[in-house]
Amino acid sequence: MRAKEKLIEDLGEKQPRASVMQSAASVIGVSKRFGKTSILENISFDVAEGEALVLLGASGSGKTTILRIIAGLEQPYTGKVILHGKDVTELPARERGVGVIFQSYALFPKMTVEKNIGYGLRIRKRRRKEIKQTVNDLLSLVQLEEHRKKYPSQLSGGQQQRVAIARTLAYKPEVLLFDEPFGALDAQTRTHLRREIRALLRKVNVPAIFITHDQEEALELGDRVAVINKGHIEQIGTPFEIYNKPATEYVATFLGAANILDGVARNGLIEIGSAKLQGRLDPNNFRDGENVRVVFRPEDVTLSKSDFPPPGNVRIATARVAEITFVGAFERLRLLLDRPEDAVSEDDAYYLTTEVPERAKAASIIATRPKPEASATKLQIGDRVVIGLNSFTVLPAFPQKRDTKERN
Amino acid sequence: MRHVRGFDVARPLSIGILVLMMLPLVFLPLLSIFIFGTSNGLDKFWAALSAPEAIFALKLSMATSFWATVFNVLFGLFAAYVLSRYNFWGRNALIVTISLPTAIPTAVAGFALLLLWGPYGTLGRFLAPQGVQLMFTAGAIILANIFVTFPLAFGVIKPVFDTMSRSLEEASATIGATRWQTFFHVTLPSLRGAIVSGALLTFARAVGEFGSTILVSGNLAGRTQTAPLYIFAKFNEGQIEAANAIAIVLALFSFLIFSVLFFARDWLDVD
Repeated sequence: MRAKEKLIEDLGEKQPRASVMQSAASVIGVSKRFGKTSILENISFDVAEGEALVLLGASGSGKTTILRIIAGLEQPYTGKVILHGKDVTELPARERGVGVIFQSYALFPKMTVEKNIGYGLRIRKRRRKEIKQTVNDLLSLVQLEEHRKKYPSQLSGGQQQRVAIARTLAYKPEVLLFDEPFGALDAQTRTHLRREIRALLRKVNVPAIFITHDQEEALELGDRVAVINKGHIEQIGTPFEIYNKPATEYVATFLGAANILDGVARNGLIEIGSAKLQGRLDPNNFRDGENVRVVFRPEDVTLSKSDFPPPGNVRIATARVAEITFVGAFERLRLLLDRPEDAVSEDDAYYLTTEVPERAKAASIIATRPKPEASATKLQIGDRVVIGLNSFTVLPAFPQKRDTKERN
Repeated sequence: MRHVRGFDVARPLSIGILVLMMLPLVFLPLLSIFIFGTSNGLDKFWAALSAPEAIFALKLSMATSFWATVFNVLFGLFAAYVLSRYNFWGRNALIVTISLPTAIPTAVAGFALLLLWGPYGTLGRFLAPQGVQLMFTAGAIILANIFVTFPLAFGVIKPVFDTMSRSLEEASATIGATRWQTFFHVTLPSLRGAIVSGALLTFARAVGEFGSTILVSGNLAGRTQTAPLYIFAKFNEGQIEAANAIAIVLALFSFLIFSVLFFARDWLDVD
């Protein structure tokens, strides 16, 4: 998997194509329309055996439709769904052998836990002894042995979810599809169940596709994450890649807080106002004089009282601390960048400008510092600091800036 | 002085008024059936009840109501399924049409059936030469019962269908069940309560049907005379005891059905 991703990266492709090597599940060029409205456009991805892929997107992004198309509950307009090498696009849901864990769990209310789990085998006309054995094994796998005679309404949300998972595992599904699996649970149970499901999946080694709008959940659950926006995949990659090397501004802003500064590419450097970033700019990707966006996370910002940022950090500007908020494990600071030498009046003194006047509104920068650092270098409102960047991503300045930003 | 140490005069007063109002309107009429029917001794009552014509009338009522109920429950299930699963042009018009028969006077319903199926009716006149005579038979009574109780089972089943989560059926499908398996294992069990109460309502209403039955059945004693028709006929002949015996049975019967509906509510909507 790694090697393949690397290859694709080298080729400069954003989305992996259906691979030659066999994957557990592949979606190839799927699009979907309702009337004239396009819901999905050319969606392609693979899930490897035992891999967990998370489809992350805002509500209305089309992620649920992708899941329903894989399950056979909806038909794609174009494209194919391949499960273990077999084209199932034309097959009805019941012949696909996928396991769907619905957001509401959809347990059958008039069946006990064991009846629910055994349902898939009963309708497959398996022998009673075999059904009993499988149900027993699954009950112990999901640790619900003592609840076997209970009805779904007598179980907690987490227990119901485990029954739903066991019910699909009974018939050895090709792939497990989780539709917003933790949406109906409180925050504490959610984190707990996330770990549980992760461990369970490793045990059973069934490929899984999760759907969520929660970025934290996506990063924790997925071996890989696909960020879906308005019916297309913005980026697909490991949680590390998605978070640290966002391919688009949408991805950068959807996965947590991101600072965005406008700049211009020049001689392999990025100019942000008078500051020059030692960018690892690929001259093939950026022309001289092209407008670019510099994206960096609040935790990538280093603040120092001396003239230079710590080694390994790129200095961008000096700034004034405008706001300090204490957020539990860390401290969040809002910084207003100093205008370079040509500052005229105090009023607009804190804007960083570039040559393009209409882009002159670089907003304030948000930085976060962990507790030890915050107490080592105490800062107060009004303090002047040098801002350095630990790591940052350069993106072309897309014209649809407003559009994508509004979503967050 | 309305409240004396937490005592609210309005409470016993309003309950008393309620009972007093219901006394002449409901309780006393029902009570008089029982008082009158047994005033000549239980022997007379029993004799009146076991007259062959009386037994026939009761049996006919039960049988015709039973078949009308079977049909209307099956139809109600099917109609509820179609009308809550699919959205189509004219859907609301169909829902209104299904509910319409309750609003039509039963005599009008019977008359309408006669005009359609009677020997000179719109369709009946083509059947008559073939020797098919639908009216003035038990079949006609069933038809009339179906008509007047048409929306009852549907009305109880449809709301349950509407609130039933679609994902239950989808889950069943992804697990590998066919539509029929899904219907029998998943959908039907959730409808059990609605089906039972719909059936009881339909049956209770059908057993008591008079207006349409008297028009379409011909009221032939021992052939097409249902229990309510029997009461009416005997009353007209001045045989009050005979009429009264059957009246008691019908009253007790509806009592029973409504007790089941009321006291088995929990069992009926078991989740």
